[in-house]
Amino acid sequence: MSVIRTDLSKCIGCQRCYKICPMDVFRFDYARQKSVIAYPENCQSCGQCYLNCPAHSLGFTDASYQHSINAGR
Amino acid sequence: MMGFEKNTNVISAVTQELKIPQMPVPEVTSYSCDVLVVGCGWAGLNAAYGAKKEGADVLVVDKGTPGYSGLSSFSSSHQWYDKEMGDDLQACLDEMVMANEYLANLNWYKTWAAHSKETYQRLMDWGLLTQYPTGKESGHWVDGDWRHDDLTGYHEEFLYADRRNRWAEVLRENEIPYVAQTMIYDVIEENGRVVGAVGFHVPTATVIRFQAKAVVLCMGGGSIKSVGFPTSCDTFDSDWIGFRHGLPIVGKEFDDFHFSASFAPGNVLTCNSWTYLENIWLTGGDIAQETLLGRAQGEAQNLILPRLESVTKGLPEYHRTDIQPSSGRGKSRSGIYEDPRKGKWTSDLPKGDTYGCAVGMQLHLGCGIFCGIDDVEGKTGLEGLWVAGDGCNGSCVSGGSYLAATGFTSNFCSTQGYIAGEAAGKFIQNTEISGISEEVWETYRKEILKPMEKQKGFDPSWACDQLHAIMAPAWVTIVKTEESLTHTLGLVRQFKRDVLPLLKADNAHELRLCHEVEHKTLCAEMKLRASLERKESRGYHYRADYPYRNDEYLCYLTITKDGDDMRFDRIDLKEEWKGDTGMPYEQRYRTFRFPGERQALNLPDDPSIPSGGWGPTQAFVIREDAGKEKEA
Repeated sequence: MSVIRTDLSKCIGCQRCYKICPMDVFRFDYARQKSVIAYPENCQSCGQCYLNCPAHSLGFTDASYQHSINAGR
Repeated sequence: MMGFEKNTNVISAVTQELKIPQMPVPEVTSYSCDVLVVGCGWAGLNAAYGAKKEGADVLVVDKGTPGYSGLSSFSSSHQWYDKEMGDDLQACLDEMVMANEYLANLNWYKTWAAHSKETYQRLMDWGLLTQYPTGKESGHWVDGDWRHDDLTGYHEEFLYADRRNRWAEVLRENEIPYVAQTMIYDVIEENGRVVGAVGFHVPTATVIRFQAKAVVLCMGGGSIKSVGFPTSCDTFDSDWIGFRHGLPIVGKEFDDFHFSASFAPGNVLTCNSWTYLENIWLTGGDIAQETLLGRAQGEAQNLILPRLESVTKGLPEYHRTDIQPSSGRGKSRSGIYEDPRKGKWTSDLPKGDTYGCAVGMQLHLGCGIFCGIDDVEGKTGLEGLWVAGDGCNGSCVSGGSYLAATGFTSNFCSTQGYIAGEAAGKFIQNTEISGISEEVWETYRKEILKPMEKQKGFDPSWACDQLHAIMAPAWVTIVKTEESLTHTLGLVRQFKRDVLPLLKADNAHELRLCHEVEHKTLCAEMKLRASLERKESRGYHYRADYPYRNDEYLCYLTITKDGDDMRFDRIDLKEEWKGDTGMPYEQRYRTFRFPGERQALNLPDDPSIPSGGWGPTQAFVIREDAGKEKEA
């Protein structure tokens, strides 16, 4: 769960995040021409939406990273 | 008293999300084509091209969007065999045999060697391997910490060379249409032949029909973990389809090897930022007879042994600044100046010290639908169905270890995809499209949408977490014992019995998750049972109660549906692949020693062989009768 919204007003409605997210995290509001972070619980933290957002409307955080499940710490 | 004045110069950022909207249903819900290619990573793109070159009417369908879905978007290196640059084929074959624990499929390796340079040139022409300055060279790299490095600035500067953008363009340039965001649920079989497939548009849960003369599955693999490693979108769909149609599944006991960085192990971008952003590094040309053993030992020391140690001893104190220095741009590995294969040298990144971000993920190229010991085409036992690529075609080309193979997967999957697509393209020339009855479509529609019709049930994300909790511990997938595997198998079977039938989707998004959890559960069971069946240690399969190789298991183990149960078969290998089986054990297995191997077999202490230590837990106490079955 790593994708965050830095500023929705910057979203230009290009739909890139909606189309390229491999985890179906996004939806797109056609009436308002804005993307919607709909299911952030399924974000796999690949960062593709963040890197490919041309308007920098999306951000990224590692604050919610998980512990390594097999490292025993 | 001070008052607050409204500052009209500051406009605060809007961080509140809009309500989740209903998405429009697709305009087209029924397709007909000659060859349907399912999945569009390296394998799928090349399969589509191979079929198209044969004159077939090709359609691609992808669960996400080509270029961005699955693992292909995370490839970082690319290897090919280059005779003109002096590559020694016999040395390569010898390395594959020895380093991969005598399980490498040399027929596929030779096929790859014959085609791999042509594959590299095709991908280069398509703009997928364009080379450009590194993060450090460009000035966007600061200290290897993603919070300081200018990742988006770098991405924007070199957007012209972004390979992910090219995927859909390559399809377009070759006049190959694609259907995106559509999950294929199953292939449709009639009278022993595949005649189409059925799936659903993920954002709207709209059932989509595909009639085809042939189908090529290029769907990748999966991981048990719900987030944290870029494999979750694949999730074992092809294993489930293959198993359901009675095809053998191979290689489940061998685990993925990828490391992550301990300060943010579940975070892909944090750990792999420059690996993702920089070009794909060109590798190969560095295998020679005189360095075979040392090379294999070095890779075992870097990849196999640390994962066993880190999960049994724990990790040292971590530092967010643990950055792995780049090895620097080298000269060509073959020693020839013109050879572009300079090896992998990503800008400095967090140090990879932690195993376990891709639990349940298969070893590269060692797991999936098995097409037979003589197959070099990806033709399954079901007429009209081909499989290609990592996690989908269990070719076992790099055996149980995937050593000696940096950059191998991206080229191999592309090569295998092209071959499978070409074969399917030839097949359809003498095949008619078969009509699928409305009754069959309706049966599938009901089956696909069933989780949406439940009034009560379990949330698939919750279910996925439960399965994850069952399968993730190190004693289940890394340091395995009869006890841990048997115990876990009981839990998975209980989960299968008590949870799966009650999975409930409240919306279209959850429908995909419901089906994926079912696929993961099947693969969890196969993984545990295959690990129980192989009572030895070899490559990326470590049994703490059998911590040594046993040549009685010099075979592939396949799992096939048998009523409500699973049947195991042993597939004998070609003699040429087995190495010298008459050689004394301590000479035959010199790449590395598993923890406990030397003690169990009373082997001499040989400091020239890398060996693993272990932590103080009970799992690693050597059985009293360890090694006795070998003497018998």
